[in-house]
Amino acid sequence: MKIINQIFTSLALLFFSVQFASAETFNSEQVARGKYLAVAGDCVACHTAPNGMPFAGGLPMHTPFGVLYSTNITPHKKTGIGEYSYALFRQAMHEGKGQVGHLYPAMPYTSYTLLNEEDTQALFAYFMSMPAVNQENLDNEIGFPFNLRFGLAFWKALFAKDIDFEKDPSKSVNWNRGNYLVNALGHCGECHTPRNITMELDAERAMQGNVIAGFEASDITPLRLVAQGWTQPDLESLFKNGYSEKGTVFGEMSMVVYHSLSRLNDSDMNAVTSYLLNSDVPVKSKPIIARIPDTKAPGHNTYVNMCSGCHGLEGQGKPNIAPAMQSNATINRPSLYNSVAVLLRGIPSQKYNATTAFYAMDSFEELSDEQIADLINYMRTAWTDEPPNASAAQVFRIREELEGQGLIGVGSGHAEF
Amino acid sequence: MSQTINMNINGHQIGPVEVSDHTMMIEFLHEKLNLTGTKFGCGAGVCHACVVLVDNDDGTTSVERSCISGAGYFDGKKVRTVEGHAKTNEQGEVSELSPVQQAFLEYYSFQCGWCTSGFVNTATALVEKLAKHPITKDQVEKTVEDALQDNICRCTGYVKYYQAVKELILKTPGLTV
Repeated sequence: MKIINQIFTSLALLFFSVQFASAETFNSEQVARGKYLAVAGDCVACHTAPNGMPFAGGLPMHTPFGVLYSTNITPHKKTGIGEYSYALFRQAMHEGKGQVGHLYPAMPYTSYTLLNEEDTQALFAYFMSMPAVNQENLDNEIGFPFNLRFGLAFWKALFAKDIDFEKDPSKSVNWNRGNYLVNALGHCGECHTPRNITMELDAERAMQGNVIAGFEASDITPLRLVAQGWTQPDLESLFKNGYSEKGTVFGEMSMVVYHSLSRLNDSDMNAVTSYLLNSDVPVKSKPIIARIPDTKAPGHNTYVNMCSGCHGLEGQGKPNIAPAMQSNATINRPSLYNSVAVLLRGIPSQKYNATTAFYAMDSFEELSDEQIADLINYMRTAWTDEPPNASAAQVFRIREELEGQGLIGVGSGHAEF
Repeated sequence: MSQTINMNINGHQIGPVEVSDHTMMIEFLHEKLNLTGTKFGCGAGVCHACVVLVDNDDGTTSVERSCISGAGYFDGKKVRTVEGHAKTNEQGEVSELSPVQQAFLEYYSFQCGWCTSGFVNTATALVEKLAKHPITKDQVEKTVEDALQDNICRCTGYVKYYQAVKELILKTPGLTV
């Protein structure tokens, strides 16, 4: 028995020594730093398949050109990046060129190019030190001519430049750190900035919001955020708990909160919120908008019968069940997209951390375009500063788009037999 | 504000009756109609103890949570509650339980009974659907799990509820092929 134990122990030791062989070449501080940076960069979100091993790749990404699969970035020598030199890793991160050649810009190298050398090295140290996972990369399902990677060279020559992050000397250290976290590591613009016809991020409209996968990545310019009444503590609450007085995050953003933003340290959190609001001093909060709803408005009965059970007759919400509608940033914005998309798609139940969760919202696809427009106008009038100008035609267009993507009706609780 | 509503409940025409905006369906059932079999559980649409059935014009049946849906939502609809399943005699007494209710008794499916009204309704909707669209025997287990997954029970751990519905489906002619 003792001998068997010894054999097991030595086998286990051997196993771990192989798995972590390269760890010894990096110092632990650098690895720890790289680990934190990988969280801030949310690498795990894309490089992990549903229920898959972290960083082993395989997540399908649906693009207008076909399906791309994220790759294994564990240091496995055959299936991962185990054979990568630092130079090659740096090239992949900053110039979008890996072992296979040019990388599709689903890998946000147009943002990561802003990473400084020290951070790129720390990330390399971390990835090379993690356990290697033997998982083959999946073949992309990209049609001709986009399957030819050399074509990416032309795109990159035009739009992807290896540029260094430049600090703005007129701004504070805190603001500059926030800028770096948001634009380099966080690569927020990859979703929040609209793309032009060539799929390049449109710098003119940076962070002004962009519809992606059936929800709108919100306009997060300081102008819009301040207009909606966001303060630094509001944003911090949203990023830590997925929830704030201005509502909850949903869709892809809830995963960004879960894997990345909620794990930022305090000074980085402060940097990010200050950068987003373009203010190092606390932004003055605005009172919550809670007018008495117009009971004669056409959306009133719909709200009372189908929404008030969870969101409250006065739009006050229910803690850990449904967010308040008063001053809710999803409704309190000029764009109708998310208001309509949430109503038509529903939202699966969301658990942000041990103490904060929200229950699933039904899909209300059975409501007509006109009923939805009336309902949004009713909520806008009572609980936002937006004019009640939603129209059935606008709702129709959004419904059509979502239907085309097969996204209508994912919410639960509204079972039909 | 208030709404004036009409609906059919368990075959009886109700209304026109005025209900205030604050009136959720479960309150309407309890306070106005004295139908207290539908149980108020979480009050947030999570536990499904309070579900009632709505028979749609297209022949489908929806399972709706009465604690978070306003009474006005059911205006003009055909509703069934847990009181509507058993057969009654001329005196209005229960003379024969529905097959789902009988199965739950036989399998000791519930203890405290708070979730039972919801389970009866959801399982009834499932059994009725299978009568129209039978499934193969190997699909029964998953079909039952999918259908009942939203109903929460804190006593018996689901096993006996699921067993009862599964056995009922397997032994009732026409529900499986």
